[in-house]
Amino acid sequence: MDPFSAEGELLNIHNAFHSGQYQFVIDFDTAALSPENQLPARVLKLRAQIAQGQAAEVLSAVSSEEDTPDLAAIKALAQQAMGKTDAALQLARDLAENYPDNATVQFVCATVLQTQDHSEDALALLAKHQGSLEAVALIVQIHLQQNRTDLALKEVQAAKRWAQDSLLVNIAESWVGLRVGGEKYQSAFYVYEELASAPSTSAPLSIVGQAVAELHLGRIPEAEAALTAALEKYPEDAELIANSIVLNVLAGKQTADLESRLQQTQPSHALLADIQEKSDFFDAAASKYAPKVSS
Amino acid sequence: MQSSPNMLTKFESKSSRAKGIAFHPKRPWILVSLHSSTIQLWDYRMGTLIDRFEEHDGPVRGIDFHPTQPLFVSGGDDYKIKVWNYQTRRCLFTLNGHLDYVRTVFFHPELPWILSASDDQTIRIWNWQNRSLICTMTGHNHYVMCAQFHPTEDLIASASLDQSVRIWDISGLRKKHSAPTSISFEDQMARANPNQADMFGNTDAVVKFVLEGHDRGVNWVSFHPSLPLIVSAGDDRLVKLWRMSDTKAWEVDTCRGHFQNASACLFHPHQDLILSVGEDKTIRVWDLNKRTSVQSFKRDQDRFWVIAAHPNMNLFAAGHDTGVMVFKLERERPASAVYQNQLFYITKEKHVKSYDFVKGVESPAMLSLRKLGSPWVPPRTVSYNPAERAILVTSPTDSGTYELIHLPRDATGAVEPTDVKRGQATSAVFVARNRFAVFNPASQQVDIKDLSNSTTKTIKPPAGTTDIYFGGTGCLLFITPTTVVLFDIQQKKQLAEVTVSGVKYVVWSNDGLYCALLSKHNVTIVTKTLEQVSTLHETIRIKSATWDDAGVLIYSTLNHVKYSLLNGDNGIIRTLDQTVYLVRVKGRNVYCLDRNAQPQVLQIDPTEYRFKLALVKRNYDEMLSIIKTSSLVGQSIISYLQKKGYPEIALQFVQDPQTRFDLALECGNLEVAIEMARELDRPNFWSRLGAEALAHGNHQTVEMTYQKQRNFDKLSFLYLATGDQEKLSRMAKIAEHRGDFTSRFQNAIYRGDVEDRIQMFKEVDQYPLAYLTAKASGLNEEAESILEACGLTEDQIALPSMDEPLNVPRPIVPTFKSNWPVKTAGHSSFEKALLGEVDADEETAADAFEVEEEDQEAVLAKDTMHDDEEDASGWDMGDDVNVEEDVEFVNVESPEAGPGSSEADLWARNSPLAADHVAAGSFDSAMQLLNRQVGAVHFAPLKSRFLEVFKASKTYLPASVGLPPLVNYVRRTTEETDSRKVLPIIPRDLETVANVYLQEGYAAMRANKLEDGVGIFKNILHTLLINTVSSEAEVEQAKKIIATAREYILAMSIELERRTLSADDPDSLKRSLELSAYFTIPKLEVAHRQLALMAAMKFSFANKNYNSALGFANRMLANGGSPKLLEQAKKIKAQCERNPSDQIEIEFDQFAEFDICAASFSPIFSGSPCVVDPFTGAKYHEQYKGSVCRISQVTEIGAPASGLRLFIPGQF
Repeated sequence: MDPFSAEGELLNIHNAFHSGQYQFVIDFDTAALSPENQLPARVLKLRAQIAQGQAAEVLSAVSSEEDTPDLAAIKALAQQAMGKTDAALQLARDLAENYPDNATVQFVCATVLQTQDHSEDALALLAKHQGSLEAVALIVQIHLQQNRTDLALKEVQAAKRWAQDSLLVNIAESWVGLRVGGEKYQSAFYVYEELASAPSTSAPLSIVGQAVAELHLGRIPEAEAALTAALEKYPEDAELIANSIVLNVLAGKQTADLESRLQQTQPSHALLADIQEKSDFFDAAASKYAPKVSS
Repeated sequence: MQSSPNMLTKFESKSSRAKGIAFHPKRPWILVSLHSSTIQLWDYRMGTLIDRFEEHDGPVRGIDFHPTQPLFVSGGDDYKIKVWNYQTRRCLFTLNGHLDYVRTVFFHPELPWILSASDDQTIRIWNWQNRSLICTMTGHNHYVMCAQFHPTEDLIASASLDQSVRIWDISGLRKKHSAPTSISFEDQMARANPNQADMFGNTDAVVKFVLEGHDRGVNWVSFHPSLPLIVSAGDDRLVKLWRMSDTKAWEVDTCRGHFQNASACLFHPHQDLILSVGEDKTIRVWDLNKRTSVQSFKRDQDRFWVIAAHPNMNLFAAGHDTGVMVFKLERERPASAVYQNQLFYITKEKHVKSYDFVKGVESPAMLSLRKLGSPWVPPRTVSYNPAERAILVTSPTDSGTYELIHLPRDATGAVEPTDVKRGQATSAVFVARNRFAVFNPASQQVDIKDLSNSTTKTIKPPAGTTDIYFGGTGCLLFITPTTVVLFDIQQKKQLAEVTVSGVKYVVWSNDGLYCALLSKHNVTIVTKTLEQVSTLHETIRIKSATWDDAGVLIYSTLNHVKYSLLNGDNGIIRTLDQTVYLVRVKGRNVYCLDRNAQPQVLQIDPTEYRFKLALVKRNYDEMLSIIKTSSLVGQSIISYLQKKGYPEIALQFVQDPQTRFDLALECGNLEVAIEMARELDRPNFWSRLGAEALAHGNHQTVEMTYQKQRNFDKLSFLYLATGDQEKLSRMAKIAEHRGDFTSRFQNAIYRGDVEDRIQMFKEVDQYPLAYLTAKASGLNEEAESILEACGLTEDQIALPSMDEPLNVPRPIVPTFKSNWPVKTAGHSSFEKALLGEVDADEETAADAFEVEEEDQEAVLAKDTMHDDEEDASGWDMGDDVNVEEDVEFVNVESPEAGPGSSEADLWARNSPLAADHVAAGSFDSAMQLLNRQVGAVHFAPLKSRFLEVFKASKTYLPASVGLPPLVNYVRRTTEETDSRKVLPIIPRDLETVANVYLQEGYAAMRANKLEDGVGIFKNILHTLLINTVSSEAEVEQAKKIIATAREYILAMSIELERRTLSADDPDSLKRSLELSAYFTIPKLEVAHRQLALMAAMKFSFANKNYNSALGFANRMLANGGSPKLLEQAKKIKAQCERNPSDQIEIEFDQFAEFDICAASFSPIFSGSPCVVDPFTGAKYHEQYKGSVCRISQVTEIGAPASGLRLFIPGQF
């Protein structure tokens, strides 16, 4: 039986992980699980820890168990998270070579590869998956990052045929929906709204999703309400701050405070990087022009 | 005998014994005379008692309506015959003469005669016009129980307890009473020789025949309407049929069956049937030709006394011991079935015919069903199977039979069917191509049968099932008295149930999604899964229904065709002369079968329900076209719209000013309300408008309404509230003028004008108050003078201790200048549609075109796949000079893997607008565009705007853990999914600029914060430079705002320049004077221009440049406005006019046309060469060409430019 299916005992921890409730995952009591589910649960827990910024602890925890490919893959992920990108990449490539059929290796290593812009390799590795929703989600995301909405859509629709009700598929569909736009914005909004309003799945992840969908729907005041409330609850969440910046610009408000907050929380955030890049680009482009007569 | 299923009771009344009955020939009325002396008038269709007439003393036995006049006649046991008018509800007169009970009374069909039969053994004829007895017929030697006129001939039939029926010839009476000119010689001879006189010498009415055959007294006799036949009923329990010729009459036959006295009998008006009633509590129907009993109906308790037939319709009434029943002998609903464009139906002759809706042609008879059931019973239902071209017909005969018949391929005539399968059932319907269901109520069993009539399956329906209907593919509907059950035949499972009582018919919508359940007085609309959608009640009986293609139910009652929307909104479409059974609606045609089973086409006007449907579905285009193309006006639609909350739409229909006013108020449309109030010009409307306008904060309208109402107090208070000091002082003057001291006092308080208050107190001799006021306000001199005037000294007065006098707070914001800002009430989408109808048309045209284009693209896509990819990778923004051509760029996605272009790239491709390129992050191409469009060269001031637009373009959606968030692109085209049409959102749109920044700029001007003002207006220019708008109208608005910003920046810059100069130096003084003069040139808002003029005037005046000052003063006065300013202007003007000369010559000619150079702040007289900034339109002396515009600080003066683009027609 698929341990992630509706009847499976990993369903709760799996859903919690994908709705961004990492602390719940870390605290999850795995003692009662059947032996074959112990490892996937542990992998989830370790990934949750990395997501919570505890990569070093994870690294030390798994370093003695590198023989298990799953945990070795987690090691690569931890290395990546700690900035040891070369080591992570090397390890990920080795694992992909040696254990291409291990589901954990597939999506964890693909994550590492994708993070370092080896999208083709990541996709090649993921293509070997055997009904792994995580792999599907990752493929969808990689396609979207490559701006291949069409392929992402295909992937989601294929997955929906065999995993209609899966949380992850629904979320992945919303990712695609937010790219496609039109009525899909509204359906994406419903998915995130449901997640955000249900106490068991409410997390910054889902609130951001909801607010982003509102923004795309042009419902600025609603998005503002969601983001403001969420920011009070999770003041450190980089995506919350980043999207609040976008929101405030749209609403014609000042964003300097938020930008400096983001600078503190996550200086590497794409928003800041983009702005810096474009600012330089502007200066370069502007320098090509000059009035005929300087006054 | 069991009651026949074909006796269809339509109405029953409860009363005492009914002895006489009469049908109204036209209206659905019946008169009933009762044993209790009352005459009742019933509406048997509505089931209501219309009136009661109670003047007879004792039982009333005879009753009859006049065929044309609003009269009826009655005769009773009080020996009296009364003639009544049912309109005035009075007895007109009484005919006295009979010496015993009057048994029957009848009007003559043409002549003004009344025929009466009495227990005094006479029959009498009365003329009701001159109220006289014209003939008495004697001969019967016992009570005469009944006497009737022949419908066409001069004959009378009478029945008596002397066991005889007599036929009387009254042609003599007719001759005697008709005009004398028509009397021929022979007639005179005949009258002169009364050889046929009876024994009393009476020749007017003579006995023609005496019919003897009954063994007991005869109670009733009736003529056949057209044949020479007579029927009589007697106490010997027999109904006898007689025939007569000119010379003789004889008994034809006897109908035996009644086992008690037969009370009355008559011929069926148009069928070969005899009806009789008797004290054995039965109504019996006999075949006229065979004299056999056709059917009978028995009541449990009540003996029948009388029967009557409706003269035209298939209706009978019978009176019994406890009232009256109105009934039909047979169903008049023709059995019919509709398949696509064909109607199959069964005619009165029991022929199967079809009717083609499209061609409107009736086929010849296809089959004869003469042998189905009994000859007098029409088939009840027909069900059609197109696959097998077979029909399933049911007949109620023998407690229900069905026949399965294959229709012949060609309709060749009424042939007898061959190969007929039949069986016992009350209902039979096809449920699949080769299956049908039959229902037998006795066994409570539904059999599913195949086409060879063998049972394949048996279903036990819910208890009490009365009927079955088709329930959608593979399903049946079971009708029980209180519910309808949906049953799946395959699964043998009940799917759904809905509680609806008394369902008689089921009508499915054309798309099979909805179903109407018709009960006697209710229509319930349910979905195909039996979820109730709506229900409605009718007081009149519902006869039939059919669905419009748009999902509107059209149903018919006895006398109306009506409609019901799914939401239950219903209304009348047209009235009906005769009851019809609807079978189909198509456009303006309603197809139906009448009671003679003839197809009919009724014309209807579907506008109303289509309009309501469009309203419900919010299909505004449809509504618009309906409004345009039809004359849909009328109170009902207006009140409907109003009730449904669409007053603004109702407004479109109304002409009547008062209604328009009401509607306008309701939807808050003040403009229309004002217009209407002007037209009506009545205080009531002004006050209502005022209240509404006040709620809107539209105080200018409020002011107007108060003025119209001459409501001075309210006006004063309004001025106080809005801070309009000037008008307040005018109010004070008005109050003074009116001599209204209270009002004047109030105004003085409002204005804080102590002097006026004191003055007023003095005028009304309130010196103590005047003194107190003066003293309190610290006007000691004034106080002294008052004291003096009163001849008192200060120490003679004891003053209470006083605090500082309260001052009226000065208004800070000149609220009165403009109304409360109200968010422009979004036109309802309907109004938008009204306004933008042209666009809509264009759009559809464009859409149509698009489809073609896409097809082409699909073909193109294959060819250009490779090229395209190369193109995408080598797409260099720097070279993108022909951006506009790239709008047609075809974005083809290759099926192979590999990165595609981001949405930001699409934006840049999709749009020739600089703002969209900025949002896409393609700053270089944006700059290029701006350079070409407005000659932008100096971009530094735009940097923050660029980054702002860029920042707003993307959101960050966290996705898989460990990966960077997904970047999504925020669109202003939120509805669009076509990647060739998506466009980015641009923050700070035109609306924000117009409503926020522009107002801030004005505020800065008023507050004299000119540096800030320049900054704000420059910011406006920069914001608009990188922006998009959504219509041509907004483009114009944007241009206007740019021009305004230019003028203000110029004006403020001039003034700022002036302030840097010192006034000591004569040169700079001259420059100062010039600059202050130039300050008045830019086209500012009038109020602001006045400020500039004021400053210039005062400055000139102070420096003794009286001529210039005079010019400024004149301009100020010409502009009008605040009286304070004007006062000063007047003063200065007066002073200057004494010496109109300038002490310091300045370069300013107040009479010349000129512009100000925005760089040098010197005049550019018209005609002299100048250069213009391509963006702002600011003018410069020629030497500034090529430098950066001082106003925008971005664009190059005099640069070649194509003009700023903010809007792409056809796109958002």
